[in-house]
Amino acid sequence: MATTLETFTAGVETAVDVVAVERQLHELWRLAAESESGQVTRACLFNLVAYAETEEARDHATNVISELTSRDPCRAIVLLAKPDQPVAELSASITAHCHLAGGGKQVCCEQISIEAAGASVEHLASTVLPLLESDLPTVVWWPGNFLLRPQIFTRLGAVADRVLFDTSQWEKPAEHLGALSKTIAAMPGCNFADLSWTRLGLWRKLAAEMFDEPHCREELTRLNSVEIVHGCGPGASLRALLYGSWVASQLRWSPADVKTRVRLQARDDRDATSVGILSVTLRSDDATFLIQKKHGERTATAKISMPDICGLPRTRAFWPADDTSLLSQELDHTQRHVVYERALALAAQLAGNQ
Amino acid sequence: MPDRSQSTNPLREGIVSRRVAEPCAIVIFGATGDLTHRKLVPALYNLAHEGQLPSGFAVVGFARRPKSHDEFRAELREAVVKFSRFQPINPAVWDAFAQGIFYHPSEFGDADGYTRLAKFLQQLDRERGTAGNRLFYLSTAPTEFATIAGQLGASRQTGNARIIVEKPFGRSLDTAHELNATLASVFDEPQIYRIDHYLGKETVQNILALRFANEIFEPLWNAKYVDHVQITVAESLGVEGRGGYYDQSGALRDVVQNHMMQLLALTAMEPPISLEAEVIRDEKVKVVRAIRPILPEQVAQFSVRGQYARGSMAGKPVDGYLNEKHVAPTSRTETFVALKLFIDNWRWAGVPFYLRHGKRLPKGVAEIAIQFKAPPSVLFAADCASPLMPNALVLRIQPDEGIAIRMNAKVPGTALNIQPVKMDFRYGGSFGTRSPEAYERLLHDAIAGDATLFIRSDETERSWQIMDALLEGWKTAPPPFAYESGTWGPPEADAFIERDGRQWRRP
Repeated sequence: MATTLETFTAGVETAVDVVAVERQLHELWRLAAESESGQVTRACLFNLVAYAETEEARDHATNVISELTSRDPCRAIVLLAKPDQPVAELSASITAHCHLAGGGKQVCCEQISIEAAGASVEHLASTVLPLLESDLPTVVWWPGNFLLRPQIFTRLGAVADRVLFDTSQWEKPAEHLGALSKTIAAMPGCNFADLSWTRLGLWRKLAAEMFDEPHCREELTRLNSVEIVHGCGPGASLRALLYGSWVASQLRWSPADVKTRVRLQARDDRDATSVGILSVTLRSDDATFLIQKKHGERTATAKISMPDICGLPRTRAFWPADDTSLLSQELDHTQRHVVYERALALAAQLAGNQ
Repeated sequence: MPDRSQSTNPLREGIVSRRVAEPCAIVIFGATGDLTHRKLVPALYNLAHEGQLPSGFAVVGFARRPKSHDEFRAELREAVVKFSRFQPINPAVWDAFAQGIFYHPSEFGDADGYTRLAKFLQQLDRERGTAGNRLFYLSTAPTEFATIAGQLGASRQTGNARIIVEKPFGRSLDTAHELNATLASVFDEPQIYRIDHYLGKETVQNILALRFANEIFEPLWNAKYVDHVQITVAESLGVEGRGGYYDQSGALRDVVQNHMMQLLALTAMEPPISLEAEVIRDEKVKVVRAIRPILPEQVAQFSVRGQYARGSMAGKPVDGYLNEKHVAPTSRTETFVALKLFIDNWRWAGVPFYLRHGKRLPKGVAEIAIQFKAPPSVLFAADCASPLMPNALVLRIQPDEGIAIRMNAKVPGTALNIQPVKMDFRYGGSFGTRSPEAYERLLHDAIAGDATLFIRSDETERSWQIMDALLEGWKTAPPPFAYESGTWGPPEADAFIERDGRQWRRP
């Protein structure tokens, strides 16, 4: 099918020769600039390389990118790798994600989809590298376990400024925490972000905020336990472990203390919020700091109980975090997650694989 | 303001958010008014929604009309449903927020009302943990400011307190000075927060980021490279039922003295040594102090006034200013003003700053345009049909916030044809996120005690000094020039800038 400006900006995928991708895109944007309406603007702030190994994961990535580009315009390169296929094949297609901006104008971003099968998977990185927009950061979004594909990951990771992954989607993630921690430490030039950690952002913020209040700050050094009640949904226990490790590592609890002070408790609740944590209780001898989320309610409440304190709960909105909003949050954050790395190292110890 | 809490709160490390403000009670004077319903309470609810309010928090509405707490809460709920940027509102967040809303009926001048208020606030300290911390918001007519401040002083409620004052901060140097003196007799200057909502706009704050976070602009930001600066704040609306107020005020007092002088100060200021409130405010004041005074006899040379006449807006006929309700039929109040100001300092010597504001202009727009000097034409003059356009950098404040750069490029072809092209950055295209409302940012800052985005007394007074001379000169000058509604002001405004060999931009 011939690619026209209309089909391109309407989000229809059109197959193109892998070597002709750049030329084809250039031609389409030229047509857009010269169109009578002049209503299409191309925007691009970074390269986003998404990696998938199933059609379902590829389609999910495309849907997320379609939403994401309304807030974070980028050149998206979506890779579908099928290394187990017997025949080597490499194909490409292009499309655009367009969003209405002010004045009836459309802001559009291009997506290049590349599918590699069999031995061609080994050449994926060499296909991607020339397609990266120059002078813009490159973000690799690899939801699965990249430790299992060292050959491709090493080449893509070498050009990435950031790698976004999601241990919640890994099989038996606790078994890989040690290797993950070492891989991250071995790549100091690249910022890694685990969406499991991103999901904990509001929970960490709520805990931190309780100790912003001056009368509570002194209690921080007196905290002697953290109890995390978590659901049984995918990744919930891992996130609880990361959260407990975060508290312990930030408060500099000794390794001996950590095992007795960090308590994780599973409750049979699949928790639709995708965070998986149901409550967190931090305790000192005199005070209790409780964060709670009611199932099905889009709010979280933080309550402090200590002598001479009014103790009114603080209620704030707490919205479900889908992949689009998680990615968007991470794209706002450009620094290395040193706090995560510290918590991860401790979590790996606690999980017994480091 | 830098967040110092991290050093004492290790759980804050790596969390990118401002710390929660300290417990506080906000008392809004004029709580039944439009500003409270449209802006203040929706902004506070938005802060609650995002978890930026402390647990010990209360809002007390202070107004004349008798009303119960619940009636007040119900009114505010309607306002929040209508004006909050979070839609639909979150019932649980609202319920928790509404539990801290109270109403206190009293006349502004009734001493007993303030004694009762003090007792009520003490009760809230115990019941809601507001810890004696007060924020008084004067959302009333300016004529009430002195009365309210005096009563707060007399009832000894100014200790651990800040007061927010809405513009206008006086209507002349004398009245501004008088207002400042009244407030200063009760509050110390660091306790006084003069609010100009323009400073809460993201794009206005971005002026500092653009200038000082980009190495490519600052070296050119001076008289050597800049030919002139145009600051435009255009409104498409007329006085819209505010004729009584506006006729006593006019364009200069209503917009130029505050919003436009802030834009000018941020555009022209020197790099501050830090982002602390006093440091930034010091630099802004230096700019205003360096503005060359316009003597009353010079007003025709440095200003043009206009008044909108009949015309049409968006294809519909509209009446002129003199036909507006509550406007005197012989009014000489200006609805349009164009000014030429010079900043007599090292950086800006000889660079005119043209300010233009008016009502019933073709569209509502606010922008700052830095017009650079024309490049030497020796290279292309012989071959190009028209002279090269100088470069321009345009900061669009509203709508369609963004930054555009105009530069020259060769038109493809065998002939040497050079034309201006525009590189355009739009916030909407790059950052799709919805910005917080200006009042959200400003209220959070005031609760947190950060005065960076508020105006200091010396800045308002110096600004009024410049305006006073213009107002004085206009008293004996011919009346404002009429301009057709829906046009860019009177033809005399075009002639005014064309005398200098320049032209107004068409935003």
